[in-house]
Amino acid sequence: MNSNLRKKGLTDAQVGVLLILPGLAVFCAIILYPFVNAILMSFTDRSLLMPNYKVVGLENYIKVFSDPYFGKTLITTILFVIGSTLLPFTLGFIWAIILNQGFKGSELLRGITLVNWIIPGTAIGFLWSWIFNGQYGILNAILTRTGLLETGVAWLGQTNTALICVIIARSWQMLPWYMAFLLGGLGGVPLDQVEAARVDGANNLQVFRYVVLPSMKTIILLILVLGTIGNLQHFDLPWTMTQGGPARATTTLSIDVYTTAFDNWNIGKAATIGTIWAVLLGLFSFVYLKQVKDSD
Amino acid sequence: MFRKTAGFRVFFWVSLVLIGAFVFLPLLWMINTALKPTTETFSLSFFTGPKTLDNIIGIITNPKIMTYLKNSLIVSFASSAMATLVSAFAGYSFSKFRYRGRKFVMGLFMMSQAFPQAILLLAIYVLMQKLGLLGSYWALVISYVVFTLPVGTWTLKSYFDQLPDSLIESAKIDGAGHMKILWRIVFPVTIPGMISIAIYGFVWSWNDLLYSMTLVTDSARKTLAPGLVMTFLGEGSTNWGMMMAASIVAAIPVTIIFVFLQRYFIQGLTAGAVKG
Repeated sequence: MNSNLRKKGLTDAQVGVLLILPGLAVFCAIILYPFVNAILMSFTDRSLLMPNYKVVGLENYIKVFSDPYFGKTLITTILFVIGSTLLPFTLGFIWAIILNQGFKGSELLRGITLVNWIIPGTAIGFLWSWIFNGQYGILNAILTRTGLLETGVAWLGQTNTALICVIIARSWQMLPWYMAFLLGGLGGVPLDQVEAARVDGANNLQVFRYVVLPSMKTIILLILVLGTIGNLQHFDLPWTMTQGGPARATTTLSIDVYTTAFDNWNIGKAATIGTIWAVLLGLFSFVYLKQVKDSD
Repeated sequence: MFRKTAGFRVFFWVSLVLIGAFVFLPLLWMINTALKPTTETFSLSFFTGPKTLDNIIGIITNPKIMTYLKNSLIVSFASSAMATLVSAFAGYSFSKFRYRGRKFVMGLFMMSQAFPQAILLLAIYVLMQKLGLLGSYWALVISYVVFTLPVGTWTLKSYFDQLPDSLIESAKIDGAGHMKILWRIVFPVTIPGMISIAIYGFVWSWNDLLYSMTLVTDSARKTLAPGLVMTFLGEGSTNWGMMMAASIVAAIPVTIIFVFLQRYFIQGLTAGAVKG
């Protein structure tokens, strides 16, 4: 077949295009077409329960923007994204600095740390639901035994604590991811510059501030943007831990799109929320693309 | 890099203990709970009290959960293999061929991670329904390829970039066709890259919850993540010993892969994500 290809006189360019076709086909079927179709659906009253639908123009958008819950969902999403990006980034950075010291067993610790990231979100959701359990959870046991709390708290059942709990679980899941990149970044810090700064009398903090941070700027920016995109998309933990509750306290945009479409069957409205969300994501992706382009 | 001053020592030990506890204790608590007999589930003992494998055995002898596990294995292997192959073709094409629209398609692939999955899911659901694939393995296998495509294409492209053109040229002069060059010369030298992408694809598919719980609702074809959510959350289960055992069973395959192929994995994670 191979030599046949050549005999038929396929040019190199044609072979190149042939090779790209499977990927392009999947991309069109699973990303491009669904994306365009979802935007179109946002202008209809389509429901998953009924085969017929009609175009309703901007009605869904007016409904979504006048829905008081939507503003709350946006705020919840932003809080979730900020918390779930900055907390694991900070902890992951410190952890990377610790492990980068190269003490006995640091390689092993790095490996075990990554297990948290690789296991299914469902398992992580179960685990943290158990830790935060209001009746028998270990967190309450520790806090009441040490006298920090008098009685246990239903951490996931209260609107003012549920989101924080989900952010903590998400941070636990993502810390290894940030650590892996930052360890790579720390490995690339030019040691001669560190030495030069030492000669100039710089202390640890100054070395960190004026040598380490600048030389890791690209990787830091990159993982913050990638982390933000990932968190804007995140679904598993709020779903397994609280299903978006209590009283929508953990309903982020991805949870909202899912429940609107597959619990309330209102796929038109879900597509509207999704489209607005895509615009948000688009802004971040723009930064991301620019970043990758500049670093090339 | 940092001098071991008194201040740094304090920072080092405080961080090591506190972050170490945060990172490692939860998973140990999971294992600890799973190994306790049901009567002891709510006790605070930490690996000290009586131990039993009842919970784990209860999970691996549960025919429903084993069906979910089997389905997850099928779907994850299939989509991982498909994604690796598709990414390898695309990466090779981007690396060694020049044609109109190449840069544009490269940009498209790179962007695909940034499309919100939940919104894509709405139309994928409708599409799969139309094609009659809703509820089949195919719905998931094809959808998951997209998770790996950008990372896979970019990682493998960087491998192919390192392959000297002269090697390919001389094979051509010897009369080898494109397919032969691909299978005999190009792919073999990129096996480490292929393995890391295959792992990446496997883990993504294995861990996915959103697509699998939406596109496959028939319990005979359900995969593990949505299966466990349905089994435990659906019934409002309070059998935490069983839930922790189920979590361990779900985590084991990806953990095993990770332990044995850690080197490839970290490579795939960092190299791929930086570019893709």
